[in-house]
Amino acid sequence: MEATISFTLNGKAVTVRTDPMRTLLEVLRNDLGLTGTKQGCDLEGECGACTVLLDGVPVRSCLTPAGKVEGREVLTVEGLGDPDRLHPLQKAFAETGAVQCGYCTPGMLMSSAALLARNPNPSRQDIIEALEGNLCRCTGYARIITAVELAAAQMRGEASPDGAAAQARPIGGDLLRVDIAERVTGRTRYVEDMPMPDALHMRVVRSPHPHARVVAVDTQKALEVSGVLRVLTAADIPGENSIEGYSKDETVLVPVGGTVKMVGDAVALVIAATPEAAQAGVAAVEVAYEPLPAVLDPEEALAPDAVPIHADGNVLSTFAITHGDADAALAASDAVVDATYRTSYLEHATIEREAALGYIDEEGRITVVSGTHEPHWHRDFAAPVLGLEPSQVRVIMPPTGGSFGKRQDPWLVAATALAVYHMRRPVRIAYTRRESFDASPKRHPYVCHYTVGAMRDGMLTGLRLRVTANTGAYDSGGYYIPNYAIVAGGGAYRWRGVDAFAQSVYTNGPKAGQMRGYGTPQSNFALECTLDEMIQRLGDDPVEFRLRNAIAQHETTWLGYPVAESLGYRQVLEAIRPRYQALEAAARAFNEGERNTPWRKGVGLAGMWYRFGKYGIPRVAAEAELGLDGRFIVYCSAPDYGQGIATVIVQLAAETLGVSRDAIRLVNADTATTLDSSVPGASRATYWVGGAVCRAVTALREVVAEVASEMLDCPPSAVVLADDRVMAGGDAHRSLRLSEVAAEMERLGQSRKVMGVLDLRAQFPNYEREVYTPHFVTGAQVAEVLVNTATGQARVTHVVAAHDVGRAINPRDARGQVEGAIVMGLGAALMEEFVPGVTTGFSNYYIPTAKTMPDIEVIFVEVPSYQGPFGAKGLGEAPILPTAPAIINAISRAVGARIREIPATPERILAAARQGGLR
Amino acid sequence: MTHYRMAASVEEALEILEEHGGEARIMAGGTDVMVDMHKGRIAPRCLVDITRIPELRAISVEGEWVQVGAAVTFAEIHRHPFIAQRVHVLAEAARSVGALPIQTAATWAGNIVQAMPAADGAIAALALQAEARIADAEGARWKPVETLFVRPGVSAVNPCRQVITHIRFRVPSGLWGSAWTRAGRRESLVLPTLNCGVSLRLHEDGTVAEAVIALGPVAPTPYRARDAEAFLRGKTPDAAAFAEAGCIITGDCNPRTSPARASREYRLALIPEMVAQALEVATRRAQPSVEAAVR
Ligand SMILES: Cc1cc2nc3c(=O)[nH]c(=O)nc-3n(C[C@@H](O)[C@@H](O)[C@H](O)COP(=O)(O)OP(=O)(O)OC[C@H]3O[C@@H](n4cnc5c(N)ncnc54)[C@H](O)[C@@H]3O)c2cc1C
Ligand code: FES
Ligand code: FES
Repeated sequence: MEATISFTLNGKAVTVRTDPMRTLLEVLRNDLGLTGTKQGCDLEGECGACTVLLDGVPVRSCLTPAGKVEGREVLTVEGLGDPDRLHPLQKAFAETGAVQCGYCTPGMLMSSAALLARNPNPSRQDIIEALEGNLCRCTGYARIITAVELAAAQMRGEASPDGAAAQARPIGGDLLRVDIAERVTGRTRYVEDMPMPDALHMRVVRSPHPHARVVAVDTQKALEVSGVLRVLTAADIPGENSIEGYSKDETVLVPVGGTVKMVGDAVALVIAATPEAAQAGVAAVEVAYEPLPAVLDPEEALAPDAVPIHADGNVLSTFAITHGDADAALAASDAVVDATYRTSYLEHATIEREAALGYIDEEGRITVVSGTHEPHWHRDFAAPVLGLEPSQVRVIMPPTGGSFGKRQDPWLVAATALAVYHMRRPVRIAYTRRESFDASPKRHPYVCHYTVGAMRDGMLTGLRLRVTANTGAYDSGGYYIPNYAIVAGGGAYRWRGVDAFAQSVYTNGPKAGQMRGYGTPQSNFALECTLDEMIQRLGDDPVEFRLRNAIAQHETTWLGYPVAESLGYRQVLEAIRPRYQALEAAARAFNEGERNTPWRKGVGLAGMWYRFGKYGIPRVAAEAELGLDGRFIVYCSAPDYGQGIATVIVQLAAETLGVSRDAIRLVNADTATTLDSSVPGASRATYWVGGAVCRAVTALREVVAEVASEMLDCPPSAVVLADDRVMAGGDAHRSLRLSEVAAEMERLGQSRKVMGVLDLRAQFPNYEREVYTPHFVTGAQVAEVLVNTATGQARVTHVVAAHDVGRAINPRDARGQVEGAIVMGLGAALMEEFVPGVTTGFSNYYIPTAKTMPDIEVIFVEVPSYQGPFGAKGLGEAPILPTAPAIINAISRAVGARIREIPATPERILAAARQGGLR
Repeated sequence: MTHYRMAASVEEALEILEEHGGEARIMAGGTDVMVDMHKGRIAPRCLVDITRIPELRAISVEGEWVQVGAAVTFAEIHRHPFIAQRVHVLAEAARSVGALPIQTAATWAGNIVQAMPAADGAIAALALQAEARIADAEGARWKPVETLFVRPGVSAVNPCRQVITHIRFRVPSGLWGSAWTRAGRRESLVLPTLNCGVSLRLHEDGTVAEAVIALGPVAPTPYRARDAEAFLRGKTPDAAAFAEAGCIITGDCNPRTSPARASREYRLALIPEMVAQALEVATRRAQPSVEAAVR
């Protein structure tokens, strides 16, 4: 029943006619076009992205029926300030790096605004409590808290409103992000926010069974639902029903006669005029299943009589490394530790759910706008499904609300492209949060059996390693997991003998694929905990033991070759040593004082190495152009899903050209306009794409100097660039506008666009055999954890992180990446666990909140890279590796017994405390 | 399709309920109703919003009773100076419902009618021996909150026929103190693995005059530990007595395993710790020297 609802919205009177039971969130977004307010969960109050102020009080707009706001005042992020007049909070969020993907930002801002209105002088704890109901997956919260403190101070008139940020040099300066004003004002249009008037809505028919044969699919009833236009099944796929090359075994839609292999497998696509009709259509599609026995445990899946999930057995892939004689090394050891470590399925839990918008572009291409790590890859996977050439398909990266590997799955792009192919009209889709949990790839759970030997003098000897990775129903890009598991699982250490074997095993659990650190955090966790067991066994020191065993720069590693980039592991360990010692001493004193209470403090250390080397041909290209308006345009594929790579690329180009950042425009990640970087994965983008961009702008600079030198009548070497001008030898009187140079190039018929290539083929002549270039970054972290040994409750109070980044291009953003990774690692260590059949969304998958956040100290160790731009290496993923083992080592030391399975729930900690004799 | 009505008075709310013959339902903050509707668990023909009924919007401390209107939110409860300073068990329970932006809408009465075995508001109500005023076509009466729970998710109050208008409990007097303990898988936005509310009155000689202990989720409905309360009466409130009280409770209650939260065994292990901690804090708050210095 429609009603007329009048209220004040962002200071203006508005009246809407709508059903008063609809949520305020929907009315704001759909009826009033205010898309700054976000939806992160299934309208269940669990995420806080939808927070708005109702009469100044923060509420969930997804739980507020529109009727409730009659006569009241609603404030949304759009009303807080606009790009030209930012609210102090918006300004502070921009300046402190409190915004990564920006999807949680509107909700965070509104909760913060309510706090400051009530309490102009909040303590840190007050801020944390005000933000405890707003989830953020990117930042780790630290910068957000700082931003609120800064804004509060400014609003009290205590801090100067203009930070130094604006004047900083491009490189090594804390520059603002390129599109920050839009992000903090809710103007950024993510896929779900993009207007597309005639778009149809798609929903997916998914399997409720972990394993079943599809006997029949009847779409008749669904087609009778009013508003439903089309139901697509496997029979409607014009090309190949697979996303070959990415996932060698996964169909786009399971055909009749085929088997669904996990809950969430897609069987049909329903396309309708409205989301509601599409949903009703999904419910009306009749799929007849013949349930098959399901296997969820990978060790069971390996049994000879196990149910076969795929035709050629339940092993997807294996990898082995032998180096020296591990058996002999272990046999000759003074001490041997044997331990089995286990990890769980993890979900990326980005605050933006999966979403895509498809249409036919002006050149007739099937176009899909959707979060991706490499648009060219997704195009190349989608085109064969349609039986088209890649050039007939276009993929565009929109502003994206976080990834951590989630957006690497090409299924959504392929399915959306298929719908557009058939409908010839725009089609949009957004997953529900439940669907996102069911159907998106997870982190692989591992079982790691470690045997590690050492001598009394603290030298490591042999390593025997067996890893079983649960890849769930599909490869899903996880084919190389065993390789990554082993490389990370041996670490930056000198072993006399290594015998390592890993396998990726199919089960009927959710498909496991890419997630921050791809296969490395699990085995690094097991390695660094096993080493800690050895260190305790020997009575050794965690820093000195690792230093003593760390590999040196030019030595041949246990992988059989030396690393190809500068290696800062020793420097990292030395940098963290004093902090470890201080925290360790403080914990000892604390425990002495609390002898008669259940409280214990533990301090743990863990290290890591992480390969950011490129797979395949070690060559990446980018382009740079001098626009007719005299601005420089950089074309590359370095998708930014929140980690800030777009800003880094612009900084690199500006620094290389010696111009200000405003002189650069970035065209990024659109298959129609940018080159294929073939570098999916954040940690590689700065080094590889950044390297190519630097070469492209250098080449462009030479061309420009050449032409300008003719015009200015001076040698090319004397030409100086200054934002929109060129000068002869810095003489302002002999200068030209760059637009004039561009016009001259146009007249001469000279191309204004040049390509730059980072090509390391000469350095890796045998790249076709080596597969990955041996580029590594290293780091170490110390965690301090307070444990209640009577209840098993643990709180990580402090983390110190030292990371070799080569060169921090944007230190503030780099810090934000480290903080975000640490809090995500903390989640994995203590609370996160996707349990098939149990976990449904944010109400039972616990990611850290602001209250979980520890104090974090970040130390950047800058050991310049040999080949990277300005000495930079890869950063985005690596800092997650040491966090969980550092925390678990801390807890194990505090309770006096080893925890070998994560998450270390209170229950597991209590069991360990009892085993350790503390209770 | 659900209609939405904003009631101006309790009488009007009851009239609308009657009009719909049991197919209309009371809504306060909507934090449960909206989720239950989105998930298809309920489908009322009409929702009757009571949050703008003036007499339900206040907290009063008068004579013997503290009285909380059914439209008062948990945020208003824990920010109320008297409750924040004197009635810790309620202030802290209110502060642990979800997170602040849930507390700004959620109400105590709604929490009780939702009847979850570990509802924070319900457990606190038991610890305070609170009463609810239930109005319906027949009139209005006060009933102990403790008598309002039937089974998980089902209350003796029928929100399609009845309205809770107020909840009340006695103004603390004498050597009285209360406390709240709660464990969960993280520190906010999480349902409790275990929660425990306690109130305690001491004799002048320091022994226990009356103890009230409530816990969840350890039974199908919010649980009151009567045997442990009886045991504590007359005892000196010390660690040994608290430990014994914990043992009595562990032997009597029957927690379940919930796969996403905790096992039965873990909950049983937690009970004595949480109960002892709550009793200890409540005792401290009840003691005369400390009462004056309460933060
Ligand atoms: C994200 C999230 C987290 C949460 N976390 C917690 C938690 O940690 N602990 C916890 O205890 N709860 C939690 N809850 C539930 C909690 O918010 C509710 O139980 C709340 O207290 C209900 O109050 P309400 O005013 O929102 O009730 P509503 O949703 O309006 O109503 C709830 C029920 O009570 C009935 N009702 C409401 N008011 C009256 C009345 N005056 N008379 C008769 N019937 C009435 C309604 O018909 C409905 O059946 C959470 C909810 C969400 C969404
Ligand atoms: S969308 Fe409202 S809390 Fe998630
Ligand atoms: S910045 Fe908070 S979710 Fe991405």
